[in-house]
Amino acid sequence: MKNDGVKTLAKGSDKAVDTVLKLLKEKLSKYNVRISRAVANNLIVDVSRRHLRDVAKIVHNELGAYVRTCVGCDERNKNGCFAVYHIFGLDDYGVNVIVRTLAPANDVKVPSIADIAPGADWCELEFRDLLGIDVTGRPVYRLILPEDWPDNLHPLRKDVPYGIRPPSVKREEDTLTELESPGIPVGPYHPALHEPEYFELYVEGETIIDVRYRGFHIHRGIEKLGESKLTYKQIPFIAERICGICGFCHSTCYVMAVEKAAKIEVPERAEFIRAMVLEIERIHSHLLWLGVACHLLGYDAGFMHTWRIREAIMKLAEYLTGSRKTYGINIIGGVRKDINKEKIQNVLRTLNHIEREVKELIDVMLSVPEVKRRLTGTGILTKGEARKLSVVGPVARASGLNRDVRKDYPYLAYKYVSFKVPVYTEGDNLSRTLVRVEEIFESISIIRQLLDRLPGGDIKVEKYEIEPDKVSTAAVEAPRGEDIHFLITGKGRPYRWKVRAPTYQNIPALRPMLREQLLADAPITIASIDPCFSCTDRAIIIEIRNGKVVNAKRINIVRLSRRR
Amino acid sequence: MKFLKLFVVAKKAGTVTRKYPFEEPLITEEFRGEIKIDPEKCVGCGACTLICPPNALTMRDEGNVRLIRYFVGRCIFCGMCAEVCPTNAIAITKEFELATLDADDLLRDLLHKRVKCRICGRPFLTTRLTKYANKDIPGSDNYADVCPECRSKLSIKNILKYRGDLDD
Repeated sequence: MKNDGVKTLAKGSDKAVDTVLKLLKEKLSKYNVRISRAVANNLIVDVSRRHLRDVAKIVHNELGAYVRTCVGCDERNKNGCFAVYHIFGLDDYGVNVIVRTLAPANDVKVPSIADIAPGADWCELEFRDLLGIDVTGRPVYRLILPEDWPDNLHPLRKDVPYGIRPPSVKREEDTLTELESPGIPVGPYHPALHEPEYFELYVEGETIIDVRYRGFHIHRGIEKLGESKLTYKQIPFIAERICGICGFCHSTCYVMAVEKAAKIEVPERAEFIRAMVLEIERIHSHLLWLGVACHLLGYDAGFMHTWRIREAIMKLAEYLTGSRKTYGINIIGGVRKDINKEKIQNVLRTLNHIEREVKELIDVMLSVPEVKRRLTGTGILTKGEARKLSVVGPVARASGLNRDVRKDYPYLAYKYVSFKVPVYTEGDNLSRTLVRVEEIFESISIIRQLLDRLPGGDIKVEKYEIEPDKVSTAAVEAPRGEDIHFLITGKGRPYRWKVRAPTYQNIPALRPMLREQLLADAPITIASIDPCFSCTDRAIIIEIRNGKVVNAKRINIVRLSRRR
Repeated sequence: MKFLKLFVVAKKAGTVTRKYPFEEPLITEEFRGEIKIDPEKCVGCGACTLICPPNALTMRDEGNVRLIRYFVGRCIFCGMCAEVCPTNAIAITKEFELATLDADDLLRDLLHKRVKCRICGRPFLTTRLTKYANKDIPGSDNYADVCPECRSKLSIKNILKYRGDLDD
């Protein structure tokens, strides 16, 4: 919903928060809710289970909020209840509306809102698995925990110690496949290649008619680790290891959540350095993706050259932070490594060089007839579907949604620079490619502006206190989209720390994207959301005629894609 | 026919790979690799073992010795230890060729002698750490070789004695 009055308000400012507060009070007056301000741009709406669905309907459908994520939390030692936090984001105001519902420990149930806000589908199943909070009014199945995990053991509950390894429970039925199993061993684990993923593609001839996804094979329990073993100061380093490509986004997001909760004033210079490193990360990530896309389309020359150019960015990252990846410069209160005049000169020189090279290469790459043909009109995600699923990042922007955390929820030094958010309306693979290409050039321009305006002063504050029981969120525009960390502070370490990576929100969008597509276009379409897993080489193909499985085989789908 | 311009791009770029290990590796001067602990400077305070995010640095007290152990296999090369070290005993090197066939090669041990409490005889801090701590605090040598528990008893006794003197 576009509101004309919004334009005069600075997004995420105190005024914007107050406006939303007033708006919510007016809209939710019939329900028994309590609305309070949390730290920064967060509002907490306390609502009983009876009215949760009504409130969700108003916030999601009438106010036009996007689902950011939902979080379950075991608060039995505080108030004897389990809590569920549904986090909605009002992009127009830059304000988060956190809807909190309590479920008493003797009746651990909450109503589902997945039919109202389909973006909340997965996270509801997640807290059902990990905290044992039942969701009523929707089909449920196991999403995160492995199939052989015992039923009544919910690892994120506070009375479950860290590091337990329960004995495996034998089960007869596969929770995912409803169709008769064709009896082919399908190993979802593919240790040799990038990351594990498992797709079941149901085909009729060459056309895909349905898709099923089973993931979370490498759920590492990082949240439990952070809540039970590590200290506030150690977590930035483990957060950086959540993702191998956009790790810095995660560590920035975590430290920002803590800084907001503890009201730490980070020096401006540190904000500039963080923003600059984030943009360097975006450039390398997008170049990596372009290379992978070329490879999947059988255009290996393009793959080699994008990665050759990317190497200069990797070296630049090492030169500025001390490491090619997992930079390790983020700490609570600032950054560890400063930059000087000489470094600025070197960065600018490298950027000029890269800009020229990328321009030249993209020009050549997009003129290759095969590349153009394969990208155009495949994997279409309509604006309606994109809005419904609350997709994020380049996937949303390629489907006509003007969403970018850097603009909508301003953070770090992004308010000091001007940049364009590329938006395309076609929603096909070509749009997603073009969004990323344009973002590379925008990032280069952002880094130039940041270096031009770099303020002096300290790069960190060392004295701070973190009070317990503060609810806080932070979001960062990662290369793949919005990355959000939710934090409830505790003593010495977070009481609850929830991480929602962008791919989590984007994978459900693959279903509408892949339907009615040719099988050979599946790898590039799956890759077009830039998933945080990339071994698209093996999938199970189930051929259906008249509703019956006639043939099922494991094929090398990448080879098929590259030949087309 | 524009796509043929790739040949021009390729010609301009030339060969970019290096014949490593026969040529110099491509690391910058800022690269962080394995850490080296200078046994001359280390006082065995254990600050590095507390800050180390992956617990690559650990500390263990056994009898008269304190063991500071660095296990390279767990190290994430963040260099936080070098930042907190009070005596600058930890240096970050550029060493990254750390692969080995024997995991024991990845252990770096440093042993420190511990001081025995002159009252109860129990070993507590390292000899070097007591010296280091006493350097800047005048008058603390009286308590230097007394363990924390005995120290609190001793100081209470001394205070009482002092106040008793006043009463006299």
